[in-house]
Amino acid sequence: MEKSFVKKILIFLGILFLAIMLVLPLVSVLFHAFENGIKVFIKSISNEEALKALQLTLIAAGAAVIANTVFGIFASFLITKFSFRFKKIFSLLIDVPLAVSPVVAGLMLIFAFGKRGWLGPVLDYLGTKIIFDIPGILIATIFVTFPLVFREIAPLMQTQGTEEEEAAAMMGANWFCIFRKITFPNIKWALFYGSALCASRALGEFGAVSVISGHLREKTNTMTLYVEILFNEFELASAFAVSSILVMISLMILILRTIAEYKAKKWEDK
Amino acid sequence: MYVELKNVNKKFGNFTAAENISFSVPKGSLAGILGPSGSGKTTILRMIAGLETPDSGDIIIDTQKVNELSPNRRGIGFVFQNYALFRHMTVFENIAFGLEIQKKDKTFIKNRVHELIKLVGMEGFENRRPHQLSGGQKQRVAFARALAPNPHLLLLDEPFAAIDAKVRKELREWLKETVKKVGITSIFVTHDQEEAAEAADKIIIVNRGKVEQIGTPAEIYKNPATPFAAKFIGDAVEIENYGNFHGFKIENGFEKALIRPEFVRISKIEDEIYPYASERGTVDGVSFKGRSMEIKVNVRGKSFLAYHSLEEAPIFAGEKVSVLIYKMYLYNNEKVKLIENASLKNEQEFSI
Amino acid sequence: MFKGTFSADKNKAIPGFGLSFGITFAMVGFVVLVPLASIPLMFDGYSFKDFWETIADKQAVYAYVVSFSCAAFASGVNLFFGIVLAWILVRYNFPFKRLLDGMIELPFALPTSVAGISLTALYSDKGLIGGLFNMAGIKISYTPAGIVVSMIFVGIPFVVRSIQPVLEKLDRHYEEAAQIMGADSTHIFFKVIFPEIFPAAISGFGMAFARSLGEYGSVVFISGNIPYKTQTLSLVVMNKLEQFNYPGAASIALVMLAAASFVLCLSHILQIKRK
Repeated sequence: MEKSFVKKILIFLGILFLAIMLVLPLVSVLFHAFENGIKVFIKSISNEEALKALQLTLIAAGAAVIANTVFGIFASFLITKFSFRFKKIFSLLIDVPLAVSPVVAGLMLIFAFGKRGWLGPVLDYLGTKIIFDIPGILIATIFVTFPLVFREIAPLMQTQGTEEEEAAAMMGANWFCIFRKITFPNIKWALFYGSALCASRALGEFGAVSVISGHLREKTNTMTLYVEILFNEFELASAFAVSSILVMISLMILILRTIAEYKAKKWEDK
Repeated sequence: MYVELKNVNKKFGNFTAAENISFSVPKGSLAGILGPSGSGKTTILRMIAGLETPDSGDIIIDTQKVNELSPNRRGIGFVFQNYALFRHMTVFENIAFGLEIQKKDKTFIKNRVHELIKLVGMEGFENRRPHQLSGGQKQRVAFARALAPNPHLLLLDEPFAAIDAKVRKELREWLKETVKKVGITSIFVTHDQEEAAEAADKIIIVNRGKVEQIGTPAEIYKNPATPFAAKFIGDAVEIENYGNFHGFKIENGFEKALIRPEFVRISKIEDEIYPYASERGTVDGVSFKGRSMEIKVNVRGKSFLAYHSLEEAPIFAGEKVSVLIYKMYLYNNEKVKLIENASLKNEQEFSI
Repeated sequence: MFKGTFSADKNKAIPGFGLSFGITFAMVGFVVLVPLASIPLMFDGYSFKDFWETIADKQAVYAYVVSFSCAAFASGVNLFFGIVLAWILVRYNFPFKRLLDGMIELPFALPTSVAGISLTALYSDKGLIGGLFNMAGIKISYTPAGIVVSMIFVGIPFVVRSIQPVLEKLDRHYEEAAQIMGADSTHIFFKVIFPEIFPAAISGFGMAFARSLGEYGSVVFISGNIPYKTQTLSLVVMNKLEQFNYPGAASIALVMLAAASFVLCLSHILQIKRK
């Protein structure tokens, strides 16, 4: 009697919390986006500025996913399958971007690649501009999502040990063959999960790109920055319309991620 | 000699895993490296395989020095402790892997894999995955996979450690038979003396990175060369003040002695045969060991083990018994010496 | 059994050390080390006195109070609801449980700025929830309460996801043993279960706190960015950046970095001690 009463109370509390804190904000984005009708919605998302922002966001997220997936694979292979000096320092450095507030991350990038940054003269000489330009947005996005893939697959590779790889190597398999036939099949779902996590974080990145963009309209506007501009200009309907696009992409990735997580769990249980 | 190690050394930081290791294994024989955990036995095996590199010394396989040779060119099959079967591949794919790497043609691979599956008695399991196999079955597949590319040397790391006690014995015999049938030189690592004694032609005892003794199981059992070997082999119990027992005197330089259960005979007091050589003791405990009873007996405050045949009159805990110690090993830090019960000798002389 | 922990064992069986090391080193170098190396440059020509004046400035001090108190309050709320949510997700069965479990990830998945504008609208005087509170005379958006709301939003998954796996692995025999010995359920929870999940809860609290402290995207909209009142540390940094006061921004950033590291280290130590 007492137990089922406590159970009901706890479930009610949990659901209430989720409904108010997580579901309601989500629904309200979609509600406001279509509040003034579908026509306004389409107009808001199909103007050139919005499309350009969408394009940049997708490019930045794509770059982050590719760079960090490649990095995650090699770094976790290095950290979990070999032993070498400074290994601890390596894994510590990889985690640094997670500890740094995105705004601070943007600041560090300005001092590295900006005009007054220590690589500034080199970049000047090469005639490239990174800060307040598209490459800067890409680097900032890569930075804030840098360890995400690594952190998903490294623990898994660690628990799987090195014996399978050693066994394959003893039979003469080369690195690519070992990775493709032994390591990859064991981590594929976790890798996919990590990449999806990286994609959703990259899509929503705001603080770091906000610092790096220099608020150059059209040129360095990502979706999140564009949303900010619209919101600050009191174009609420447009702001929510653009947001809803981000929400839909994010939800799609979340669903893919949940599937990957489920598959990864099933795979691990074997 | 097919495999030879000459003065091999290996350190991990401050930890010495191998110190001046030298031994050899003749072609076609089955050698067991026996030692407690942390003794460096696995490191020795991994150095032969090429999974670790010695700091100094030579490793010779088939008259060729292989120190710098990568593992896959040493002509070795390796069976890992936890089998390391490729978990996402079927039994067939696991065994075929090495052959595919060598780019053998498909029909050859198919025939060879089927041949091996038959050899290890796994017909009908070709499409199973590792997680659907029992420990013993995994072991057989790992064995077949290691043999597939026709290696000249087979290395096995604790091959039976992860298997149920019941299946272990059966699998041990099977492995020995199969290795002999294939005729491949093999070296395995184990911490279990019974396992080493039963399967190996030759045992190499290692402790703290050093070779303690090399010999056939019988030689090692009968004549332990070092205190460690004497203590490690057999269920010996350590005794101080061994001079208190009938027929034994303290010898200079030897403070302690080891008594193996086989060195002790226990009988009911009324059945006592050699009263001058025997002691009186109290039975602390009796446990059934399958073929005999293991008896823990206490004599003058020292307890040790003895076997008692099931055919003889049963002995119970708490009973006063006659205890005859035939012999014991005396040892110090360097040497081991076998001494016999002197009173028994004299008595036997009288009775002749 | 033994792993060479001291040097790269080049002759190790597995190939690919050079390749993996090269790519990892190059990328860590470019993405992490290059920006990290810029930290000294941030304070170029900036004396310790300047630094001190910046971080002890009235605007900064108010921001510490706002950031720390809001983050602590929000993380506390998250600690409570995090335990409740983890508990019901692991121990109870009810309809749509899997959906609920997936929803915990929403704050990770949703762009924070989108969450920010949505929460701002919801909790403003005219919004659905803000309207209700407004009738009671309580304002949420553009007050510290709003900041807490958005910090709760970004922090909740950290706590739930820390506790959940521990609770899943917790051997139920403990509880059964306690039950047999006659302990009631409240007693079992506080004496048997809570000590087991405590380290995970602390770690989740620490992560949520660190994240809240540095949060920008969702806070910037709902806070209203009013100096001395609703300006958090990341907003002060941004404010200084917009005035091109880079060393000033860097000074505050350094304090934030130190605080976040401190909290993470502390929760780490607490966890190790428990083990």
